[in-house]
Amino acid sequence: MSVVKRPSQKSKWYIPGVLTGLGITIRHMFFNLLHRKDIFTIEYPEERYPYSDRFKGNHILTVKKDGSLRCTACMLCATYCPAECISITAAEHDDPNVEKYPISYEIDILRCVFCGLCEEACPVDAIRMGPEHQTAALAGSRFVYDINKLAYRPNLKGGVLSHVDDEERKARGL
Amino acid sequence: MPKVTINGNTIEVPAGTSVIKAAQLLNIPIAHYCWHEGLSVAGACRMCMVEVEKMPKLQVACNTTVTDGMVVFTNTEKVKTAVKWALDFHLINHPLDCPICDQAGECKLQDYYMSYGLYTPEMNQPKVKKEKVVSLGDRVVLDQERCILCSRCVRFTKEVTKTHELGIFNRGDRSQLATFEGRPLNNNYSVNTVDICPVGALTSKDFRFKQRVWFLKEFDSICNGCSTGCNVTISYNQNGVFRVKPRVNHDVNGFWMCDSGRDIYKYTNKEFRLTQVVERSEKLGGDAVRGKPVALALQEIGRQLSQVIKNKGAQSVGLVWSGQYTNEEYSSMGRFFKDLGVSQFYHWKNNEKDFDSFDGILKRGDLNPNTAGLKKELAGLKSWADFEKQVSPLEMIFVMGPENFGAYSDLEENVKVIKKAKEVVWFTACESSLLKEFKWLIPAKSFVEKSGTFVNSKGLAQAFKAGLTIVPDAVSLEEAVKGMQESARMVS
Ligand code: SF4
Ligand code: SF4
Ligand code: SF4
Ligand code: SF4
Ligand code: FES
Repeated sequence: MSVVKRPSQKSKWYIPGVLTGLGITIRHMFFNLLHRKDIFTIEYPEERYPYSDRFKGNHILTVKKDGSLRCTACMLCATYCPAECISITAAEHDDPNVEKYPISYEIDILRCVFCGLCEEACPVDAIRMGPEHQTAALAGSRFVYDINKLAYRPNLKGGVLSHVDDEERKARGL
Repeated sequence: MPKVTINGNTIEVPAGTSVIKAAQLLNIPIAHYCWHEGLSVAGACRMCMVEVEKMPKLQVACNTTVTDGMVVFTNTEKVKTAVKWALDFHLINHPLDCPICDQAGECKLQDYYMSYGLYTPEMNQPKVKKEKVVSLGDRVVLDQERCILCSRCVRFTKEVTKTHELGIFNRGDRSQLATFEGRPLNNNYSVNTVDICPVGALTSKDFRFKQRVWFLKEFDSICNGCSTGCNVTISYNQNGVFRVKPRVNHDVNGFWMCDSGRDIYKYTNKEFRLTQVVERSEKLGGDAVRGKPVALALQEIGRQLSQVIKNKGAQSVGLVWSGQYTNEEYSSMGRFFKDLGVSQFYHWKNNEKDFDSFDGILKRGDLNPNTAGLKKELAGLKSWADFEKQVSPLEMIFVMGPENFGAYSDLEENVKVIKKAKEVVWFTACESSLLKEFKWLIPAKSFVEKSGTFVNSKGLAQAFKAGLTIVPDAVSLEEAVKGMQESARMVS
C-alpha cells in the first residue's frame, strides 16, 4: 500500500526561498563584476582549458623514425575494442623485416567509447590516446578517422615517435 | 589385442598402435609437434613425453608401441616439467612475431606455452637470425626463423606427394628448411604443408594477412572442385568466405585436399556472383534489365514455359545439366519437367578429354562434384554431341550452368552453341560477360548456401549443410521449381 503525501500548507511559503536564491545569485554577480580574475568559467571556444597529457582523447597512431606507421596490423586493438569501431586492412610490405602493415586504418570516432583498451592491447605502442577531445565536425563522414588524420594531423607536427624501435630490438638480439 | 591404461582409462587397441594414438582414441591430449597421423613417425620434437610404469625414463608417446598391460601417465609433474623444457628449447631462437604471424590464434607454440610453459625465458643470447618471407612456390611462403624443424612438411612431400621438394639443411641451430635448388614447391598439394605446419613457418600466399583466424567462423562442407568430394571446413565471416581446409575422412580424402580445391571459395564470394535477376526482352528494348524480384521472374518464366509447351509441344523445350548441383535439386527439377512432358535432358560435360583422368592422389579430371548423382537422378541423359545437333529447333532451353567457373574452360565455345536456341533461361551462381545475351539469368545458390547431397566418383553419397548466405536473392533449383510450378500449370 502506498501512502500519498499531499503537499502541506507550509510548502506554499516558497517566496522566501526564491528570494534567498535570487540574493545569492545577485551577490555572486556583484562579486564577479568586482573580481573578474577569479571567475571559473572560460569563454569556450576562444579560451580552452588545458587537459592533462594522460587524458584519453582522440587517438594517435605513432610513427617510426622514418616517418612510416609503427602499426603492424596485428588487429589486437580491433579485437579488444568493445565498440568494434576499428577497421584495419592489412597488406604485405616489401621489406621482409616489416612484412605486414596496414594499408587502411579507420576509427569510427562516434562509436568509440574512449575506453583506452586499444592503447592497452597494442604490443608495439602504435596507438595512443591523445589529449585532444574537441571532435566537432559538420559532415558525418568526418568522424571516421583515417591514417592521415590519426597519424599525420597538423597538430601532431609530423607524427609522434613510438617507444618500440625495430632496430634497437634487432641490436639487442630479439 | 593389447590393453593399455592411460591416466586410469583402459582401452584395447590393435597391436602396433602407438601410445599417442591410443591417447587420442581416449581423448587425452598429449602435446606434440612432429607426429601426424597421416605421416611416418619422426620423433624430432620431444614434446610428447609420457611416463610409463616400470620404465626408468620418460618415453616419447609417438614412437612407443603399446604393449599389453602398459600403464601410462600423461599428467604427472615429471611429464609437465619435461614438456616445459622441450618447449623452452623450441622457443630459444623463435622470433617474437605473433602480431604479424598468420598462425597466431591456431598456433601450437602459443597453445602449449599457455598450457605447459608460462615460464620466464632465461636465455640472454641473441637469437639466431634466418631468412624471412621466403617464397617456396606459387602458393606457400616460408619463414625460416619460425620453423621448429618438426619435419612434417618434409615428410609430406616425401611420403604423400612423393615430389621431394623440401629438405632440412645445415646442422645444429643453423638447421633450416628450404627447397632444393631449382625445385620450387609447386605440386598440386602444396598448401597441405601449411595446414600441417604446427607453427606459422609455412603460410598460404592466398590467405596471408586477409583475416586473423579468430575473426573467422567455420562450418563443414564438401569440396565442389572435383568428383572426389573431399571433406572440407570452410572459414567465413561477415565479409565472405576466406579459406577452405581439409577435414579428416578416411573413406574419401584422408587428411588432405588438393590446391585447386582451395580456390573454390572464390566463386562463392560476392565479387564473382550474380546478385540479381537479369532479364532481356524485346518489350524492354532488348537491353538487359536487372533487379526484378526473383519470385516474379520465376512466375513469368513458368508462364512462358507453359505457353511454349502449349503452342509448340514439349519436345521444343530442352534442359542442359552440369554436374554442379545437388541430388535433391536434380530430382525436383527433373520431376517438374518430366511432369510437363519434357524429356530432352543433355549432359554438359566440361573438359571431355581428361574427364576420366586421376592424378593418383585425390584430384580427378571430372571437375564436378556430383556427376554421379546427376546420372543417378536423371536417367537417359543425352550427350553434348546430341545437343549440338538438336539445339537449333529448340524453342526454350533451361541451363543449369556451372557454379565453379574456373573448372569450365569450354564455357565460351559452349555458350556459342547454346545461343542457337531461341530463349534461354540460365541458372548461374557467377556473373560473366559471356552470359549477357541470354534472355533470363537467374542467380543460383552456391554450394555454401544450400544443403544437399553430392555423390562422389566412388558412389559415396555425402550430405552437407548450408553455412551462410552471401546472395540473398539466389535460389536453389528446388526453390526455382517452387517458384515456377504454379504459373506453369495454370495454362497447360
Ligand atoms: S578507445 Fe576503446 S572504443 Fe575507442 S577505439 Fe579504442 S578500444 Fe575502441
Ligand atoms: S595499432 Fe597496435 S594493436 Fe592495433 S593493429 Fe596496429 S599494432 Fe596492432
Ligand atoms: S609461430 Fe606461433 S609463436 Fe611463432 S610467431 Fe607465429 S603465432 Fe607466434
Ligand atoms: S616448416 Fe613447419 S612443418 Fe615444416 S619443419 Fe618447419 S615447423 Fe615443421
Ligand atoms: S611428437 Fe613425439 S617426438 Fe614429436
